[in-house]
Amino acid sequence: MATQTILRYPHPALKKVCRPVETVDASIHNLIEDLLDTMHAGQGSVGVAAPQIGVILRVCVVDVSKSRNGKDNNHGLLRMINPVITARSGAAIMREGCMSVPDYTGDIERATEITICFDEPDGTSRQITATGFEAVAIQHEMDHLDGLLFLDRIMSVKTGLFRRKSYS
Amino acid sequence: MTQNFEVLHYAVSVVGKDRPGIVAGITEALFRLGCNIADSSCTMLAGEFAMILIISHPKPFNKTRLQDELKPVCEELGMSMVVRTLHADEAIRKESEGEICLISVYGADQPGIVYRVTRELAQLGINITDLATKLIGTDEDPVYVMMLEANVPDGETPEKVEKLLENLKKELNVEIGVRIVTPVSL
Repeated sequence: MATQTILRYPHPALKKVCRPVETVDASIHNLIEDLLDTMHAGQGSVGVAAPQIGVILRVCVVDVSKSRNGKDNNHGLLRMINPVITARSGAAIMREGCMSVPDYTGDIERATEITICFDEPDGTSRQITATGFEAVAIQHEMDHLDGLLFLDRIMSVKTGLFRRKSYS
Repeated sequence: MTQNFEVLHYAVSVVGKDRPGIVAGITEALFRLGCNIADSSCTMLAGEFAMILIISHPKPFNKTRLQDELKPVCEELGMSMVVRTLHADEAIRKESEGEICLISVYGADQPGIVYRVTRELAQLGINITDLATKLIGTDEDPVYVMMLEANVPDGETPEKVEKLLENLKKELNVEIGVRIVTPVSL
């Protein structure tokens, strides 16, 4: 499989509510491989959702284990098919940026602890409780499955920028 | 043949007594001129409304024309205006690889809090990107609050910055906290 281009807003795929995966077949395995390759190719990326590579299905991958914020508290690499948050608690604000909305960041409030149910690529169901940065990353990626960008959740007019080199 | 020219950017600042319609009035003039608003920040302090806008124009365009067009609008709105030309090298944001920190300072109001803290930061090579202050509390016990965001140079840590501000904290008897707010890339 291959690294795919991360779509950027205003690509319409990013504002679509994704369809659930009906059958976990080879196409889904290939999709997950693409998501992983794309995540690993993105510098410092901790997650990619299917619509970010143009696939309108409820699939995303998350791995915060190599990130500064998540390295001490994580479930390693998560391949999530049809993820559903079944419980959430706590709230914390973190300044988020997204590969699909480059050059912009904003303060977003997320639950600090979430329980998620999802299917694994082998078809088994799994439930985990994630906290801290991993919980933030999962909520961010799962928002993509509902056509939501962090721009839809910004809590303050005060926003920031990063990695933008020029106005031109 | 395509004509090559340098796209100039202008920094426009407008300040005046707040009322409805200031942003609409200024941006209407810019729209009619065919200007693009790149970045902007506008806020109200007490009864004053202030706008800072970075604008550009897709065609060669001079500062006098911009000022001439904005002047009557500003006069009508009772605003003062300053326009500065930014040349190509000025319209580049210098990025830091270091952490972005939020530095909070608060304590009993006294002269010099902003000056003393920012002087210290400047000496450490810390660049302030955003700063807001507010006088709160009561007439008997006024409290000064300053929140600023700054780029900490590579190799410096928030803990180190906090430690370097320790003496000032004691001297001014204020609370100073340094927290990382560097964005997470998702």
